[in-house]
Amino acid sequence: MSTVLTEIDPEVAEALRAAIGDAHVIADRAARFHRARVPAPFPVHRWAEHVPGIVVLPGTTAEVAAIVVIANRFGVPVVPRSGGTGLTDGAVPLRGGILLDLKRLDEIHEIDLENRTCRVGAGVNMLKLNEVLGKHGLIYPDDPASYPCSLVGGRIGTSGWSLIGSRYGHTRDLVLSFTHVLPSGQVIQVGDGGGAKLSKSSSGYSLKQLFMGHQGTLGVATEATLKLYDKPEAELSPFWAFESYEEAYRAVGLIVRANCATFAGAVIFDPEKVAYLRRDDEAYIPQPESVRALVCAALYGNEEEVEAGGRRLMRIARDHGGTYLGDEISQGDWAARHDRYATPLHGRTRAGQVVPMGWHCEDASINYTAVPAVRKEWHEIMARLCRASEIFDDWGIFAYTNGPTGADYLVEIDVGIWEQELDDEAWQLWVNAKREFSAVAIAHGGSISACHGSCREGEVDLVPTELGGVFDVMLTIKRALDPGNIMNPGKYLLDRAYEEVE
Amino acid sequence: MSAEPGAAPGRARPDDPAGVEGLASEFVAEWRDAAYNCYSSGHKFCREVCPVMQVTRNESWTPTAFHANVVAMEKGELELADVAEDYVNCTQCGACELRCPNTLFTGDFYRFRTRTVDLVRSMRALTVDAGLDQPSYARWNLLTDERRHEPVLGEAADGAPVGQDRVRDWADDLDLPTGGATILFVDCEAAFYRTSVPRAVAQILGLAGVEFGLMREQWCCGGPAAEMGYVDQAKRFARHNLDDWRASGVERVIVLDPHDYITFTEDYPRYFGDEFAGIEIVLAIEVLAELIRDGRLTPSVSIDRTITYHDPCRLNKRKGVWKEPREILRAIPGLIFKDVDHVTQWSYCSGAGGGLSIAKPELTAAISERRMGQAAELEVDTLVSACPWSERPLGAAGESLAIEVMDIHELLAESLGIEVGGSRGA
Amino acid sequence: MTAYRYADETTPPDPVQVSDVAIMRFEHIFEVDPKLMTDHLSQQEFPNWDTIRIVAARHSHLAWMHDHWTLKVLSAGELLDDITREDAGS
Repeated sequence: MSTVLTEIDPEVAEALRAAIGDAHVIADRAARFHRARVPAPFPVHRWAEHVPGIVVLPGTTAEVAAIVVIANRFGVPVVPRSGGTGLTDGAVPLRGGILLDLKRLDEIHEIDLENRTCRVGAGVNMLKLNEVLGKHGLIYPDDPASYPCSLVGGRIGTSGWSLIGSRYGHTRDLVLSFTHVLPSGQVIQVGDGGGAKLSKSSSGYSLKQLFMGHQGTLGVATEATLKLYDKPEAELSPFWAFESYEEAYRAVGLIVRANCATFAGAVIFDPEKVAYLRRDDEAYIPQPESVRALVCAALYGNEEEVEAGGRRLMRIARDHGGTYLGDEISQGDWAARHDRYATPLHGRTRAGQVVPMGWHCEDASINYTAVPAVRKEWHEIMARLCRASEIFDDWGIFAYTNGPTGADYLVEIDVGIWEQELDDEAWQLWVNAKREFSAVAIAHGGSISACHGSCREGEVDLVPTELGGVFDVMLTIKRALDPGNIMNPGKYLLDRAYEEVE
Repeated sequence: MSAEPGAAPGRARPDDPAGVEGLASEFVAEWRDAAYNCYSSGHKFCREVCPVMQVTRNESWTPTAFHANVVAMEKGELELADVAEDYVNCTQCGACELRCPNTLFTGDFYRFRTRTVDLVRSMRALTVDAGLDQPSYARWNLLTDERRHEPVLGEAADGAPVGQDRVRDWADDLDLPTGGATILFVDCEAAFYRTSVPRAVAQILGLAGVEFGLMREQWCCGGPAAEMGYVDQAKRFARHNLDDWRASGVERVIVLDPHDYITFTEDYPRYFGDEFAGIEIVLAIEVLAELIRDGRLTPSVSIDRTITYHDPCRLNKRKGVWKEPREILRAIPGLIFKDVDHVTQWSYCSGAGGGLSIAKPELTAAISERRMGQAAELEVDTLVSACPWSERPLGAAGESLAIEVMDIHELLAESLGIEVGGSRGA
Repeated sequence: MTAYRYADETTPPDPVQVSDVAIMRFEHIFEVDPKLMTDHLSQQEFPNWDTIRIVAARHSHLAWMHDHWTLKVLSAGELLDDITREDAGS
């Protein structure tokens, strides 16, 4: 028996059709279900709770603004969605309403070869953009694991993290400015100062980052001006094996602190991650048992500079217990990291049988010195979870550099969840575990998330704890900019902004 | 299952909800694990390579949605009627299933890969069995059934020259034998519409001294019917063709059309199993590349064209065949060849395949326009394809850009000094 | 040239065990030990051409991804050899 969904008021639907045309307003049941989900683990048994009332696909900023005005007029929620690849449910409606799908905003409006910028719609994908920019010898180096499918609008709405951010910066650094539709429907240009193509200004408040990473609660970006780089002359991506996590951890610290200007990022893989890779990764199946941890580094830039930096890093790794894994594995594995999503068949039951498991990586931002302790406590949480239910599987921990000085890392534990067997009880176990992961991060002076955001069930409970007085400011801003609470309501506990005034 | 009396076996009618539900349940049970293998990853790396997505930006018409529907049907949230029509929006080009990490990174390891094309075909077959099929598909397949060939020249009853008596017209003056150990199979579009293609292939093979004949009684391969969900019809056509081959001692079938190549190397083996042993299927393009390599064909007439090559989806994405066409093109003197690599072309398509042009010709046209726009950026005067079905919509889209669309066999024949003859369509 | 022959395609080479959980049928191509796919998930029919196609596509894709990001991929192995030589000479 199918669920009865919350329907949109016919008057709202009519207003939307009048604003953007019949063809781009979709009310059918399947279309609404498709836009209620993001990557797993989505609580599939509660899918229907997240289905929007209607889907709109605007083609211009003006149409987006008109939709938001209509939402205000009727008091209907609006949830922006671009790629729908986020890992904290930003694009998942909590209260139905209008699903604002931005994929038709997929035009490249301008490529400025002199100032090294381009202006694109929020529905443009980075890989596809770089296919075009590559013809001009340019690149937009925003490189998430969802690189082949995530869209510029979502990168802004979630303030994305980039694999090679230690060299080129993350989304917040790479997006120079953007056109933003406020919760009122007013359209503003947000950047550094008034110019669209500036990377530094001291004029006025710096609001750019306020309108990034809000998960659709403060409006929606429709068009962005991006900072471009010359396509790098050279790339180097060595992978090293270590006999212990401790050795690998020490080496990665030294590698990052070697201060090479072409250094773009380093990753450390722990023993649980290596064991997981031995399940099905052609590079690691034949590795000897002595391989217990891995480190990789990536360098991009002019050839002579990459080569000089590479020599330095190769020497450091060799002198600190690293065994180089060879060009074939290094180059192959690095190339695969630009689109590194887990595949479900990594999943195993306790008996070792293959089952399709959804992938979730709990991420946190953690200082270098706290990474080992967080790692240890997270695996303990996972061990308890796995003992409680066979539908969970520990897929190991990575830590990625956040920046070029090695101060902090994106630490993530990858968890397999056998969704075919997911029920309320297991879901609650998972939500509790998420809360525990977050608590560990906060206790060690970190942040709940370096990359994904923190508005999924479980983790979100601790956002006020993490942010303290800043959370109160978030409530004030939310209430001021969105008095009707129409933008993605229910996210980030921001309903509290309205409880206070009642 | 409780099909109405008189309904075909395995079929239900829309006014028999219990029967439809039974069929849908069987379908869900069959596709459940594959669906979760997509749903539980949520990569969506399929999305930007999907030709339909590129021109519509509609997430409901993506491979991810096609798999998610199965999960939603299992959960009782969506019914067949909610989703049946969405599955029209697919050219079965195979880009999604190849680009999916579940294929590209682990498909061979687990012997379990993403099979969107099979899923779409299976869903369409379900809609046929449930009486919910597309009227345009039903009409096309009815005419194909009547005429034994697809109605590629339209529906005019008074002598639209698609029929058994006209299937060899393209070869009228070529004096080709019937039967023999090796035959050349010619698809409907090439046999009736773009006859220059089979004429080119036949004459090149003749020049190289390859002995071959034509079938005694060739019918449509049955592939399009299978693609649109008319499985019984597809199998009947396949049975006819295999019986014809057997009866005349055929051991080797040369195929010039990528769609036929898929049908013969994927559908026929499924239909016939061991019975298909002893029949060898070869692609004309691979035969010709080998003949050039061996020095048995030497293109020598200079061709003054600036070209790019369109990788047909069924060769490049679904079969991994992309080297041989480039080998042939590089052997032709005079050509300026502005190539786009075969991986970039995983996201290129003409939009002609998988029945899309029958149900939604406007989407086929939009996809072809996009493809020809990509060619125009290279400043070429000619786009060379190796798939007769792609050449009609691509040719139409090329007109306003002054880019001619040629078939690789036509081009090679010209460089071998052959007066090809025949028609390149309207 | 790769002609399609039914018997050839449906007969994979004999497996060699390469780890507790993996086997090898084609050179350098690992596969899951089929005993791990018996309880919950079944392996699909997989003609030999499809395995070969996927592996070739993977290699093509990885090479493409390098080209997409950079003009040239440097060899860390060569750098390591240089360092080793330098150290031996010093």
